Amino acid sequence: MNDRARNIALFAVALVLAGIYLFPLYWMYVTSLKTNSSIFAVPPEFLPGTPQWQTYALIWDEANIPRYIFNSLFIATGVTLVTAVVGSGAAYVLARYRNLWIDVALFVILMLQVLPPSLMVTPIFVAFSSVGLLDYPRIATILAISAKTMPFFVILCRAAFMTIPRELEEAALVDGNSRAGALFMVVLPLARNGILVAAILIFMQGFGEYVYSTSLIADNRLQPASIGMTNFLQPNVVTWNAIMAFAATYVTPILALFVLLQRNIVSGLTSGALK
Amino acid sequence: MTGTPQIEFSDVDKHYGSFHALKSIDLTIPKGQFVALVGPSGCGKSTLLRSIAGLEKISSGTIRIAGQTVNDIPPRKRDLAMVFQSYALYPHMNVRDNLTYALRLKGIAKDERAKAADDVAKIIGLEGLLDRKPKELSGGQRQRVAMGRAIIRQPKAFLFDEPLSNLDASLRVRMRKEIRALHDRIGSTSVYVTHDQIEAMTMADHVVVMQAGVIEQQGPPLELYERPVNRFVAGFIGSPAMNFVDATVTDDGTKVVLELQSKPTIAIAGQLEPGRKVTAGLRPEHIETGDPSAQDMAPIMIGAAEATGATTYLFSDDDPELIIVTDGANLIKQGETVGFSIAPERVHLFDPGSGRALTQSGG
Repeated sequence: MNDRARNIALFAVALVLAGIYLFPLYWMYVTSLKTNSSIFAVPPEFLPGTPQWQTYALIWDEANIPRYIFNSLFIATGVTLVTAVVGSGAAYVLARYRNLWIDVALFVILMLQVLPPSLMVTPIFVAFSSVGLLDYPRIATILAISAKTMPFFVILCRAAFMTIPRELEEAALVDGNSRAGALFMVVLPLARNGILVAAILIFMQGFGEYVYSTSLIADNRLQPASIGMTNFLQPNVVTWNAIMAFAATYVTPILALFVLLQRNIVSGLTSGALK
Repeated sequence: MTGTPQIEFSDVDKHYGSFHALKSIDLTIPKGQFVALVGPSGCGKSTLLRSIAGLEKISSGTIRIAGQTVNDIPPRKRDLAMVFQSYALYPHMNVRDNLTYALRLKGIAKDERAKAADDVAKIIGLEGLLDRKPKELSGGQRQRVAMGRAIIRQPKAFLFDEPLSNLDASLRVRMRKEIRALHDRIGSTSVYVTHDQIEAMTMADHVVVMQAGVIEQQGPPLELYERPVNRFVAGFIGSPAMNFVDATVTDDGTKVVLELQSKPTIAIAGQLEPGRKVTAGLRPEHIETGDPSAQDMAPIMIGAAEATGATTYLFSDDDPELIIVTDGANLIKQGETVGFSIAPERVHLFDPGSGRALTQSGG
């Protein structure tokens, strides 16, 4: 088999896999534009007959989409800020020192990544409840999610810091800078890309988070969109087109952001790996 | 060494965990001198330099810069300039900002900084490159920026940490001269770390040879070459390296028999205890060759000869071999037996056990 044929074959395999992977996304958009009867048609219709755009208009007000999206943005922004500020500091220290305690700390951080939220949520609930944090459910949720996203952020940022030669900091020290000054004027500007990419990924995680939000936020007015969507799932009727329209409204902005930034994200993620 | 001391070490020790990196170092660097710290890797020369800069904290002893004890003074308050091996240029700043970073931290106004950058660029030949980023410069240009960043302020001393090791050979020779010329022009105190003894010998007023955290010998370059105090310094200074041959002092105490296949006997300056075992150190460039049958010539079999044009390197058919540097016109071939001689005062003798140079009585 020559190179050309092999390339075509590999491309075909990639296309099929991408098709399988992206089909649910396609199905979400298509379903949101169908009528109720065509949703349940047998055999399934792969294209909507007449697009039912009014579903979007309907759910925008009826399902309180602006409020849910605002809550989601609020939580995602909070999570990103807490993770980025605390995590960058932790990552810097973990990147700059090399001893047994650092290894232990790294191991513990990786362990945190292993623990699933559904396991952690009960102890977190009890702890937050006893210190009164549940009176501020969104703040409580931000803290809980941040604890979950922190390990991932720290590991990514540590890799970014480790690509910055120590000598640069030392040069800044000899040039007359303080340790903190060298961090802010030399190290952080150079690690900026890595930190931004990690922060974007954390933002996306925070935006779609479900487990902690559903457990810690009882008040419907404070819940994020990921929970708002489930309000359509009622015991007897499931309005699939409304749910899908809600989901589409919820994920499209994030998808668009990702598509726009994907080149930067990929280069940021591999910056430590490739020279 | 004369002059006011600019940097002084007294009884300085440095431990990294169980590793003893600097062992009771005493060193005085007078103002205006160019001092080279030289030694094999891991000998502590970089640690010594970094402890002057304050990048390493010493475990005990005192370091004084311009009379002031600096043990607990952070790097930024020591007023030194350092040129790093990797140059350590700030990649996100252009050349002008790199040069003037220290001035900016001192709070000097922007137009004054720009003028200083222009002046320095003229001195180091970087005009027209001030707006470039470091990654757009060649290795030699980056090296110049690193130098410029050091000379833009008037620091108490310049510290160089193997600044030329990333350059190719011809550029290295050129920068060697430029750095020395710059030093003379500014009249500053410079401490220069290198593992290359040629750099140390050609650039410095005063060379400090280190090994395993200890200063083995210090002095002007030629003094180290002519009067090494021990076998380590003798072997480290000079290229190609000094030949070391086991030898025995003859019955009259004025000659030694070298442990080579031909058992040649050579005269030494002074007198040693007859029958004593010694290590003879013969610099390849001090050995002369001639007719093996002539008087004063000891015979030696040539195992290999390398002619480079200007000089010819002869390798004796021994183990370890004796290396001789002769005139390029000297057409000696492999397998020939030649005569060799060396002036008695140029024969170095070391104690085989301690490696210390032996002072020959009467010599």
